[in-house]
Amino acid sequence: MKKYGAYIRCGFLEGCAYRNNLITGMLANFIQTAVLYYVWKSIFIYQNTVAGYTWEMMRRYVFVAYLCNSTFTFGFEMQTAKRIIKGDIILDLLKPVSYREMQFFRMLGNAVTEFGITFVFIGILYLGANGLHDLSINRIILFLISFMLGQVIKFGIQYIFSMLCFYTDNAYGVSKAREVLTNFFSGAIIPLAMFPEIFQKAVKYLPFQGIVYIPCSIFIGTFSLSESMQKIILQIIWTLLLGIVGNLIWKKASSVISLYGG
Amino acid sequence: MAQIEIKNLKKVYKTAEKEEGFMGNLKSFIHPTYTIKKAVNGISFSIKEGESVAFLGANGAGKSTTIKMLTGIMKPSGGTVYIRGTDPFQNRMENARQIGVVFGQKTQLWWDIPVIETFRLLKSIYEIPDETYEKNMGQFKEILELDEFLHQPARKLSLGQRVRADMAAALLHEPPILFLDEPTIGLDVAVKQSIYQFLKHINQEKHTTIILTSHDLNDLESLCKRLIILEKGEILFDDSMEKIFDQYPKGMTLEEIVIQLFNRRKCG
Repeated sequence: MKKYGAYIRCGFLEGCAYRNNLITGMLANFIQTAVLYYVWKSIFIYQNTVAGYTWEMMRRYVFVAYLCNSTFTFGFEMQTAKRIIKGDIILDLLKPVSYREMQFFRMLGNAVTEFGITFVFIGILYLGANGLHDLSINRIILFLISFMLGQVIKFGIQYIFSMLCFYTDNAYGVSKAREVLTNFFSGAIIPLAMFPEIFQKAVKYLPFQGIVYIPCSIFIGTFSLSESMQKIILQIIWTLLLGIVGNLIWKKASSVISLYGG
Repeated sequence: MAQIEIKNLKKVYKTAEKEEGFMGNLKSFIHPTYTIKKAVNGISFSIKEGESVAFLGANGAGKSTTIKMLTGIMKPSGGTVYIRGTDPFQNRMENARQIGVVFGQKTQLWWDIPVIETFRLLKSIYEIPDETYEKNMGQFKEILELDEFLHQPARKLSLGQRVRADMAAALLHEPPILFLDEPTIGLDVAVKQSIYQFLKHINQEKHTTIILTSHDLNDLESLCKRLIILEKGEILFDDSMEKIFDQYPKGMTLEEIVIQLFNRRKCG
């Protein structure tokens, strides 16, 4: 376990080294959130509810969705994909450490700073817009569990996508594809309850909802407590499933590594 | 027990072939054709503890490919590899504990954080005891002069500093086997000298088995007792360093012999 602590530590130091990168990335996400906030605001001027959501719910959703979506990203695929394409991955493979765990804990270290800043920042904005009411301790605890599972699901998806680079040679395309898919199907932009029926059905069978929609719905209270528990179990199932799929792909991908010799 | 035992080792690369011109590219896009390149074509040898072996060969002869298969990061297309009795590709993590690797063209140092942090990370992942760590670091600091840049991020180091740090990083866990793939590429004479001195010291004091590829023939000659010459994925020569001189007229340097060898191969 100690060795993974060491990866968190180095990841943390690395995260701090990329300060400007971190700030600009967060700024871009923030602008997106601000735009979303005002778009929703103007929609609710003409309508009291949209698919069961009121403005009071929506303005909570927007901030929480931002928190869930923006942490633990930090160009992970781009970094690992570049290492794969440039061949530097062979140096990671020369360590007596599981490749996936190494990447996970490094990411975790990377994300600490980012998450800390985002959390404080979003917390202030959230409280400014919504105040303290409607917060209950049960829901906050459930939310935190769901949030963490959501981040693990996000990592699982990123890990699988990053390995596509063994086959495609295109880091940018792969990470962009993953980003668009997550943004759309996770509920980061629109709550999934507002999707047309066909999409809603499709989304049920995809892991993306676990990243934003489930934790957000738990937090703002659109899921009842028992429904929240069910969804958390669903997240756990996805975590395991993505883990297994990631393992299988890794086994296959690591034997084509010869393509990237130096 | 042999430290390294390989039998009939093969590696075949499949590369997509692009035809010339616009139409050719289009054709390759729709219907890619592949060519098979035999990088390593059935080589066998065994290496004992404490040996120092030089791999010599023209560019593309299969040296790096062989090293990558020996270190367990690349899956052989055929044949068997045993490093201290285990298959390195199947038991990658176990094998990683027993070897140290330096690629002159790549670095294992973390790019954006101080060099000392990489060493601390290595201490944790190889579970190096405090005493061993202190002892080795002290020695490396002295011989490789690490002190001047230990607290700088790797991206700010000069090439010579980077390779010296990489060398220390590869040896921190006292591996019984050390692989070096062109470790001195692009280095100035003084740094080269100090690195070869250091390797000699490691080989003699700790009986570390060294497998080295390089184009610096003089240094190879002074460090390595055994020479393996590869050409087009096959072994051309495998014997002690002195033997190669016996086969050629007296007074020829290793460099002259190698040039002659490569040329003859090209014509034949």
